Amino acid sequence: MFRFSREQSIVNVAGVKFGGQPGMLPSVLCGTIFYHGHRIVEDEERGIFDGSAAEKLIARQEELSEETGCPSVLHLYARSPLAFEKYLDFVERVWSGPFIIDSADAATRSSAALLATELGYADRAIYNSISLATDEKEVQALRDSEIDSAIILAYNPSEPGVDGSLAILETGGKVLEKGLLPMAWETGLVNLLIDPAVVPLGSGAGSALRFSVAAKARLGLPVGSGIHNAISSWPWLSQKEMAARKCCDAAAAAMQLLSAADFLLYGPIESADIIFPAAAMADILIAEAVRDLDIAPGVKHPLHRLV
Amino acid sequence: MAEEGKSCKRGYEDPWPPVRGDYLVGNPNAGVVAVTLASPLFPQGAAICGQCKTENLGIEKIVANVISNCNIRFLILCGVESKGHLPGNTILALHRNGIDEQGRIIGSRGAIPFIQNLPPEAIQRFQKQVELIDCIGLEDVVQIEEQISRYNRLAKPYPEQPFQVIKRKAASRQIVAGKGDLSFGAGVAMDTAAWLVIEEAL
Repeated sequence: MFRFSREQSIVNVAGVKFGGQPGMLPSVLCGTIFYHGHRIVEDEERGIFDGSAAEKLIARQEELSEETGCPSVLHLYARSPLAFEKYLDFVERVWSGPFIIDSADAATRSSAALLATELGYADRAIYNSISLATDEKEVQALRDSEIDSAIILAYNPSEPGVDGSLAILETGGKVLEKGLLPMAWETGLVNLLIDPAVVPLGSGAGSALRFSVAAKARLGLPVGSGIHNAISSWPWLSQKEMAARKCCDAAAAAMQLLSAADFLLYGPIESADIIFPAAAMADILIAEAVRDLDIAPGVKHPLHRLV
Repeated sequence: MAEEGKSCKRGYEDPWPPVRGDYLVGNPNAGVVAVTLASPLFPQGAAICGQCKTENLGIEKIVANVISNCNIRFLILCGVESKGHLPGNTILALHRNGIDEQGRIIGSRGAIPFIQNLPPEAIQRFQKQVELIDCIGLEDVVQIEEQISRYNRLAKPYPEQPFQVIKRKAASRQIVAGKGDLSFGAGVAMDTAAWLVIEEAL
């Protein structure tokens, strides 16, 4: 393991800290609920779901977080503004930590940002995401909101690879007039989390690992990814038994953390039972590896809790 | 050469389809593919059938698998759109308008509509080889199968060789060590720009 010569910033969202030198802070683990196809959701457009099942899933993630020391974030995925409204109304009763606003639909994301602001939850919200797809309408909605934390998606399909991903963040590369980082700062976003954008295995998923190290070295910002997506979209693995799929999911999570990630968008919240132990193990190994590099893990680190 | 002549006669080369994905392969001699977008439907009678939920990499796989089989002349777009990504709209735009210099699919309303792994010739071949049948929104499997049968009857093999998409190699570059910006301790550092581990000067 290693230490970056550049100072590594630490982002604090509603008490959960992301970033720092590898081995310093425990990894932040973000489980997704109400995702497309989630069995607890009956109607994705209207946001009708099984509240009891949702509460159990959120409680389980929180329990594992308490046990391991890896902080958790609730990743809320909504298909429509109405659905997001229903989810947020429910979540504020059962979860007091940070949450991620996510949707494939820009109008839903914008509406969610404004709703979170109106209800007074902007300081707990992380907007997912600012990307190549972000247009002026979405930027304006963010300006009108009080949200100041966001994930910046470094996806650059015109220049695949590490250099292209850095270019889209800093300068916009060949496809944007301005980099996503300056765009985010001008929008009023302060707490920025970098996501390399994981593509399927065979399409360059591995570059997310190298990018994570390169981005922290160059920018000093917290980095994390949804490497789970590379595993879940692997047709060969989907034919294998559940044990093999879980094993690969946990292994990918640990590999991403070893590649300097500060947080994981680990996919379905049901995977908490396999991801938290894997991440805690990775955190302990990394903390032990950098012990003589003048990096001391915090008091809540898994190193102090589980061994 | 005998093998090449044989495969040309069949309209495709083994193994077909060349690009892996989450799809069902039917009869490679059929003239139709069915793309069911976000709907998990499995109509019968197509050469290949599967979902497409993304407006970039998913479409690339479809194009590569279609143009590598000359028997395929019709692509039926059916099922419901994937919200935000709009792969159906994007496939229509790709077929109608192609891509710009950066690989952006012209006229798509999808979120990040880019082609990054296919040469322009592959797009041109896709445009020439297949006709798109826009049934976006149709989820009735019986009606989709009727469309497949109808267009299978009309299909005549495309009169050229199968177009094989060869994966583009990443451009290599000369690695020159710069200043270490990441320390492993014990005098070992890494220049992350060059991705080179170096021994620091004492």
